[in-house]
Formats: sequence, C-alpha cells, structure tokens
Amino acid sequence: MPAAVTLRGITKRFPGVVANDGVDFEAVEGEVHALLGENGAGKSTLSNILTGLYHPDEGEILLGGKPVAFASPREAIDAGICMVHQHFRLVAPFTVAENVILGDHRGEGKKFMVHPRRVERRVAELGERYRIAVDPGARIWQLSLGEQQRVEILKALYREARILILDEPTAVLTPQEADSLFETVRVMAAEGRTIVFISHKLHEVSAVSDRVTVLRGGKTVATVETKGATPRSLASLMVGRDVADIERIARERWDGGIVLEAANLSAIGDRGTPALRDVSLTLRAGEILGIAGVAGNGQRELAEVVTGLRAPSGGTVTVDGKRLRSGSARAAIRAHVSHVPEDRLHTGVAPSLSIASNSVLKTYRGSRFRWGPLLRLRTIRDHADRLIRLYDVRGGGPDLPARQLSGGNLQKVVLAREFDGQPKVLVVASPTRGLDVAAIETVHSHLRTAASGGVGVLLISEDLDEILALSDRIAVLYEGAIVGEVAAEGASVDEIGLLMAGGSGE
Amino acid sequence: MIRIERRLTQPRWLTFAVPIVSVAFAFVVMTVVLLATHHPPLHTFRLLFENAFGSYDALNASFVAATPLIFTGLCVAVAFRMQLFNIGGEGQLYMGAVTGAAAGIALGNHSSWLSIPAMILAGAAGGAALALIPGVLRAYLHTNEIITSLMLNYVAALVLTYLIFDSESYWRDTSSATAKVFPQGKNLPAAGQWPTTSIGSLILPFGLLVGIALAVLVWVLYSRTRFGFEVHVIGDSPRAAGYAGMRTRRMILAVMALSGAIAGIGGASQDGDFRHQLDPRGLTAAGYGYAGIVVAALGRYNPFAVCVIAFLLGGLQNAGYALQGADFPSGLVGVLYGLILFCALGGEVLIRHRIRFQFRRPVAEATV
Amino acid sequence: MLAAGINDSILVVVLASAIVYGTPLLYAALGELLAERSGVLNLGVEGMMLVGAVMGFWGVQRTGSLGVAIVVAAIAGASMALIHAFLVVTLRANQIVSGLALTIFAGAVGLSSYLGNDLKLADQPARHAFTSPLPHSWQTARIAGPILFNQTWLVYASWVCVVVVAVYLNRTRPGLNVRAVGESPAAADAMGIDVTLYRYLHTLAGGAFAGVGGACFSLAITPQWVDGLTAGAGWIAIALVIFAFWRPALCLIGAYLFGAFSGIPFTFQARGILTGIPPELFQALPYVMTVVVLVLVSSAGARRRLGAPGALGVPYAREER
Repeated sequence: MPAAVTLRGITKRFPGVVANDGVDFEAVEGEVHALLGENGAGKSTLSNILTGLYHPDEGEILLGGKPVAFASPREAIDAGICMVHQHFRLVAPFTVAENVILGDHRGEGKKFMVHPRRVERRVAELGERYRIAVDPGARIWQLSLGEQQRVEILKALYREARILILDEPTAVLTPQEADSLFETVRVMAAEGRTIVFISHKLHEVSAVSDRVTVLRGGKTVATVETKGATPRSLASLMVGRDVADIERIARERWDGGIVLEAANLSAIGDRGTPALRDVSLTLRAGEILGIAGVAGNGQRELAEVVTGLRAPSGGTVTVDGKRLRSGSARAAIRAHVSHVPEDRLHTGVAPSLSIASNSVLKTYRGSRFRWGPLLRLRTIRDHADRLIRLYDVRGGGPDLPARQLSGGNLQKVVLAREFDGQPKVLVVASPTRGLDVAAIETVHSHLRTAASGGVGVLLISEDLDEILALSDRIAVLYEGAIVGEVAAEGASVDEIGLLMAGGSGE
Repeated sequence: MIRIERRLTQPRWLTFAVPIVSVAFAFVVMTVVLLATHHPPLHTFRLLFENAFGSYDALNASFVAATPLIFTGLCVAVAFRMQLFNIGGEGQLYMGAVTGAAAGIALGNHSSWLSIPAMILAGAAGGAALALIPGVLRAYLHTNEIITSLMLNYVAALVLTYLIFDSESYWRDTSSATAKVFPQGKNLPAAGQWPTTSIGSLILPFGLLVGIALAVLVWVLYSRTRFGFEVHVIGDSPRAAGYAGMRTRRMILAVMALSGAIAGIGGASQDGDFRHQLDPRGLTAAGYGYAGIVVAALGRYNPFAVCVIAFLLGGLQNAGYALQGADFPSGLVGVLYGLILFCALGGEVLIRHRIRFQFRRPVAEATV
Repeated sequence: MLAAGINDSILVVVLASAIVYGTPLLYAALGELLAERSGVLNLGVEGMMLVGAVMGFWGVQRTGSLGVAIVVAAIAGASMALIHAFLVVTLRANQIVSGLALTIFAGAVGLSSYLGNDLKLADQPARHAFTSPLPHSWQTARIAGPILFNQTWLVYASWVCVVVVAVYLNRTRPGLNVRAVGESPAAADAMGIDVTLYRYLHTLAGGAFAGVGGACFSLAITPQWVDGLTAGAGWIAIALVIFAFWRPALCLIGAYLFGAFSGIPFTFQARGILTGIPPELFQALPYVMTVVVLVLVSSAGARRRLGAPGALGVPYAREER
C-alpha cells in the first residue's frame, strides 16, 4: 500500500515545553493507524500540525509522497485531511447541516447565499451509509455527545476526506457505541481512506487498529503491527517501564455506618432542563461508590448538589445523620464534605492565586489562619509548605501561581487541601482526566488510602476502567436518573455498558 | 505574521519598564497628531509640563486637580479587583457632592471637628447608595454593571442640574435677588470648609490627605484581610469562590458600595476643599469619573500607584485647563489620556506575552 | 386643515420624533451588532459616533456634498474601530478596557472635541443638511406624512441597512461564517475560516455604522457641531443590541422606542405640556429606560438563550495552552 501521509522530524515547541520532538509517523492508504501515548505525550499537537492548526517549528509533511506545507486548516481540509477533535468543534446553536457546510467552499459552498436544506439530503444519505445517522435539521445543543461526534464524522465525509483523524473518540461513548464506531471506522478504511486513531487506551487500540505508533514524551518510540503486539508490550512502550494493568487491588473493607444519604434528588441543569431525576443513594464510611455514565448524563449536577454548589429542585442530602442546607457550599464544607471537582483549574483552585492562598481556599475563615479580620500570612505559607512536602507537589513553592503547575501536581494540591479538612465524605469527579500514568497511580492510591481511613468516597467518572478498578459498588447514571446498581466485584463491562446506554440491565 | 505567546515568567523589570515605555510611546503618537494638525509639538509639551509641574503654583494647582482623581481612581480600582467595572464613579462623585454639601450646610457653623467627618460620611453614603443600584442589579439579576453604572452618571448629572437650576432646593442659594436670577449653590459655612496643609510653599488640600489615607486603607484591606482574600478569589475565578463557600452576591454589594463610597468622598472633598458649594457646572465639566478609569488602568489597580498616577494625570489636566485657548486645542488632554491608555493596554499584553515576528517559510526548507 | 390638526397631534409628533432620534441609535446598534456577532464587544461606540459626527460635519462644510460627508463619517468611525480591533484581536487585550479607552480617546473630551476645535467647526451653520427627498404633498399627508415621508435619506437608508444586515447574517455564507466566529471561534478556525479577518472586518464595519450614526446628529438632527452632541447615544446603542437579542429587526423597534424617549423631552417642552414636572425627569427617561430594559432582558438569567454570541468578549488564540 502506498503511504498516504508521512511526517518526518516534526518538532513543535510551546513556551516551556517541547510538545513534539522530532516525531516520525507514516500511515498508508486503507489502514487504521493508532497513535498511542499517554496524556501529554504530544498526540494532539501532532494531529493539530497535520490539520494545519499549528505550524511545526521543524520537520516536513508529505502527502502521497509530495511535501506539503499547510498555512491554514483550510489548506489541510482541501488536501483531504479532516479531524474529529476530542473537544468537538461544533457551533452549538447551528443545525447539523449548517455545521456540515461551515467553511466549505466547493460545490454548494461556492454560492453566496446558503441553503442548508439542500445539503440535508446528502447528510442523511451519508449517515445511512456509514450507520451514523443523525437528524440533519437538529440543532447541535439538542444532541447527545455521541451524536455530536457523528456530526463531526459527517463533516469529514461530506468533504470526502482521505485522511481522518479521530482524537480520543471513545471518551464520550458507551462500550457498545464504541464498538459501533469501530465498525464505521473499518468501513471507511475499507474504502481506501486512512484513519488515524488517537488513544491512550490499550484495548481500543488492539481492537480497532492495523498498526500502532507509540509516542512518549514528544518522541516516536516505535511503530508496530497490532497483530504482533500485546496490550502489555504496548503499555511498556507507552510508559517506558513495565506497568501493572489497572486492576482491582484488594482493600481492607470497612463496615462503617452511613455517612452520606441522598434522597430523591432532582435538579435543573444550566440549560434549564431537568438534569437529575429522583436520585437516591447511600454511602458508607470506608466505601467507594462509583458513579458510571456517559458524559453529560447528570454527573456534574450530582456532584454539585451533594457539595452544595447547586440548589436541588427537590430532595435532600444528609451527612452523618444531619440534613444539609441545600444549595449551601458552606454548609457542606462545615459538614466535612470534601470535593475534588471535575474542573480543577477553574473550580478547584483560583488559578492566578498562589499555591499558599489556594491551600486555605476553604479554611481561611478558621481561627487558625486569622487574627481578627487580618490573615496570618506566615502561618498560611507554612501550612502550604507542609502540604507541598507531604503530597510531593513538584514544580514550585507556595508562592507559585496555581496555573503554572502541571495537571498532576495541581491535582495533588487539590487533594492535599481536601484531605486536610478531615473529610467524612469525599466527592471526586473525573479525578484523573488528562493525567499521565504515574499521576493516575498516585491519585488512585490516595483515594484508596482515604477509603481505608474511613472516608466515604463518591467517585464520579466517565472512565469505566477507573470505576471498575476502584469502586466497591457501582451505580449508573443515565439522563439524570440512576438506572441500576451493581456490586463491583464480578461486574461485567457489557452489563454496565447497557445500563449506560439506558438499557434496563436485565 | 505576528505571533503572541504567553510568558511563563514575567520578568520584574518589565513591570516598571512597560508603563514608562507606554507613556513615552503615547507622547510619540501625540507628536504625530500635533504635527498633523499643525501644532508645534515640543512647544506644546513644554507648555504642558511647565503648567503642570514647573513651579510651586503649578504644583499646587496640580494637587488640586489630582485630589478627585485619587478618589475616582481608587473607586475603579477596588471594583476592578473583583472584575467589576464600576464606571459610574462620575455619578457617584456627584451624589457624594450632594449629600456632602447637605451635611455641611445642615450642621451650620459650629465646629470643623463635627462638620468635616460628617461631610465625609455623608459623601460616602451618597456615593455608595448610587453604586448599590448597579451592584444590586448585578448581584441579584445578573445585569451588566458597565452600562447601568454609566447610565446613572447621566441621571446623576440631571439631578445636580435640577437641584440648582430648576428647583428651589435645599442646596440652592435663594438669599439674594441676583442668586434668584443666576442660580448657584448655597455657600458652606466656614466649619464645613476643609483646611489645607502647607509644606514650605506647597499647599496640600485636606482631601488629598484623605485620599492617600484611603489608599493605605484599601491596600491593607485588600492584601491582609479575609475580605481582600475573598475579593481576590472571586475576581480570579467566581466558580472557585462558590466552591470555597464564599458569598459572591454579598461581596458584589460590599465592593460596589465601597467603590461608590470612595467616589462619594471625592464629591464631598469637591464641596469642602475647593468649591464650598454644590456646583453642578464645575463638577459635570471636569469628567473626574472618566479620568479615574485611566488612572486606575495605568496604576495597574494598585492603590499606591493610583495616587502617583493621579498626581501625574492631574498635572496634565490642570495644565490643559490653564492653557485652553487658540494654540492649545480643547480635547488635547483627553486625546493624550486615551493614547496613554491604549499604549498601557498594549503594554499590559507585553508583560504577559511575548511577541514574535515570524515570517512563514516553506516547511521543507526548515529541515535542512 | 384636518390633516394639519392630526399631524399636529401629540402622538404623531412623538412618533415622528421617535424615528428622527431613533435613526442614529439604529445605525450605531446595527454596527455594534455586527461587531458583537463576530465576538468583539466594542464599548467605544460613543467615541466612534462623535468622531463620525465631527468628521461628517467637516465633510459637508468642506465639500458641500452630503454624500461625501457620509462617506467621511463612515471612514472616520471605521478608523477609530481599527484601533480597537488591533488591540483586542491582534494583541488580545481586554475588550472592555480597550472600548472604554476608545470612548475616552475619541469622545466628548477627546479627539472629537480636538478636531471640532481644530477644524473650527463649532457654532457654524451647516452648509447642507439632510431633508426629505419626497414630494411636499406626501410630506404633509395625513399621519403618514410627518411620520414616514417627512424623513431624510438617512432614515430610508437605515431601513435598507436593517434588511441587508438581516439577510447577510441569516442567509449568506459570510453571514454564516461570522456567526460561527462569534459563537465558537475554535470551530470556525478548524473549518478553515479566518477568525482574525472576520473579526477585523466586522469591527470596522461596526465603526463605520457608528460613524454614520454620529453623522445623523451633525447632518440631520442638530444640524451643526457641538462638543458631545451624541449625549450618551452610543451607550444606549450598546444596550439596544442586548435588548434586541442580537437581531437586526428588533434593533429597529428598539431604536424607535428609545428614539421616542429621547424625543419626548423636546416635544413636551416645545408644547408646554406638563410644565409642572421638571424637565430633567423627561431628560432622564432614555437613561432610566435603558437600565430598566437591561434588567428586563438579563433577569431571565439566560442571555445565552436570548442569542448572545457564545464567544462575545473572549479573545481567540489558536496556540494558547
């Protein structure tokens, strides 16, 4: 097979980091080529270079053997390269058809006046053929994340892309939806298109790809045939050392009392539509309760209601036998409910403030850190220093603005602060998103330690592997309601996947 | 092609160099404007400087001009710390002048020890009351405070006009026949007239000292107290503030009230220090509130820097008034303010980002 | 006789003045709408209007041609907008501060005053002013005459502009692109749309419209040059865009509503109506109503749903990380 795309010696520097350091990559026509690497290995940067969004500092790009240089994304699209970004590039108030024709300048796109209806039929046809049908007249914000992904793929197919890059496409899908996506991918490859499949999940790469290129620390480590590789060998290539599979580690069980009881919680989401419907759950001391589900099914609202950040429209939260004042973050903090939020950079910390300030974000009111209305700045700094040493935060001292920490170290600062409050309940949302393997292991071990110490942990995550590895019980959220609960021991991915898609689980 | 990259660290010298270079650059652009309109730039700048800082008289006049700018500058700065844009300093100053004058007149000619603090408090209350309107609307109804606070400036100006020109209000002097034909405000009794302090030949208005004291207070409040901590967190990330259990709405009200109160004291200082009556024409013509935005932006929202910048810009404003006439066009000071502000804004970007000029080259060539 | 009677009735006069005073607001609001739809908030409308007003007046005094005057006003407004565009699009400076700086730079105590003074335009009678292009018999027709036919070219042209802007935004390809740029610059960029170019062009167009809006004062309403003659119209125009939910047709209605508020004090004063009430009360009407309207549209707490562009006021940087 002839090479469809070749990258040679690509280097891309950002202030303070070399994201790509002499990367070589080659994919041939008709193959599914996986780009495997940890978070931060440089996969997204590489694909943004391939699509003309970034300009490489060094190196060359060849398409079908001919060198090309993309001055803009338009030139890359015209050369047949399209990408489905991890965070979709869709215009929410537009219809599917409007999104599909956006920026198109061939055929229908040449006309000055737009008639989205004319392309609706074509969009519907493509959807049928590749089994990714969506209503072309629907507005994006009305669609689920899975459907939005289909729109992104339709955009590429409408432009007759020869090379399609999928960046972490399964993050928003149930396991069953992911399988269906893999089929679509194979159909597209069978037509001679080249699919670059970016992932950090080994089993996906094994399932869908023909060849794998592994990136580590911005460099190409190896390109191997998928058939000849095992998940284990790929993992050691990806991380650079032998890693234990993420699997359940037996933990001392507690038989604590109920620390958290949520009863009949309902809440309205930001769009004004119901986001939580009659959710009830209980959590015991020392237990990890995993909340699984596809993104956008009420996870964020559940975490916010339990921690008092969002006022529920109905229902109660009880911690240690006492009912919390609903919608009061202060009440939750006083009741020792700690919270590691999903958005660590803008919710978990005030990003421009120092680590020291952030380390007392919830405790600055306490007598320990103040003298009348004045703050004890020295004490605060010492406190931060202690936490930094205790949790091995690297990258700077107490005076460093929080935003300058790497994701993993930032998460350590948040964990340090939240554990320091002697929590009874710990609400953790997507705690390892965007972290590398070493940081993930650290976070997981902190969570296990907390549970072993008698804290009730509510683990909300879209990463099913994480839920399976850590939880004692698993509840599944679908469209704001809990559709099933299973014991983690012996739970099957298929069963949970069905629940995540709203199936009854029977 | 211009590329802008975020700086990881901000070199310390830049924080001093950039404002200086910005102001210098603004003067360069001003030179071009003057040349284009056939005015001799060097001569104009020299006149400007001499009339601002060139003699004791000029300096004393500049202190007078700087006094209100400290108040309006602090007014903008304290709100901006929490990402609130209170550009109603103008109107809040008017209201402070109204309530301050009322207190001064009402307390009669008994004791300055009574009248002056009462005028300050009354001025603060007046300014705070007006600032709380956009504050409440923002806190409880999410109404953008920029436009509401600005609209209230026009309303406050109309209130001033009404009180002196279109009614026989408490503030209007109706004692004589001339005063009935040519409306003006009642004169404050001597006890309500603020003293001055002399250092050598320099004469410092009392209001200037009050302004500097307020700057110190604001600094302590914002860098050393829980209140200041909450302001910083809310200003940086409202979501993090909610997460930390801070009561954002109350803080919006408190900060808007503080901001308005400072401008209001500036209004009382206008009555007590300089005008000795409620003077609508003089207050509305000066545009102190708008100049305060420039002061705060240039002072990078630091209270001490606000004092220094207020003095410098006050000097320019004073010189502008002194020179107004045929060879010194009106509006020149405003143009200069605007230019300085643009340059400072561009300079701000330079502090946080690094600018690279890049010429695109073929990628293949780059590998060689 | 009968026609004169009705045409002199307070309702007709107020409606006619609503259109007169609403027209500058309409132009300025349409311009601001274009800029905001591309994601650029420009609070410098007042300054751009004033510079447009003074340069437009200069144009007519210099050339005697109203057409040239309007073009000059538009160019003047656009060149003010260019400063803002450079600062906020290229340098990614804070849009609010830059807009305020533009107001101070160009506004009543800044460049417009400087130019008016320097070009010796104050207290001059205008050489030409816009009048109605329609036959006299139409202008004196019952009811419709004073309201619709005794208006200037500027009014009729503004109606065309409303239609053109509405069709442009909703039906054309560049319109689709600019809406995408304002909603989600990252999405537009990924599809090969030049975000910087679109933002520059629409900010400049916004400035040109504001300049024409300012010229409405100095060439039709006043018609002469006075320092600060827009008296806050630029700010009202900004509020108007929110009031209109970022839709051109609603801008028209809003502009005439606020035009009526602006015209009422003059009408009432001229006719000696409600003389017992201080004139300041009426004069405050447009400002107070702006606040009221802002409260009404924001109290829903869902500006997003009302149509605020998703990326309004947010600089776009492709390589920021």
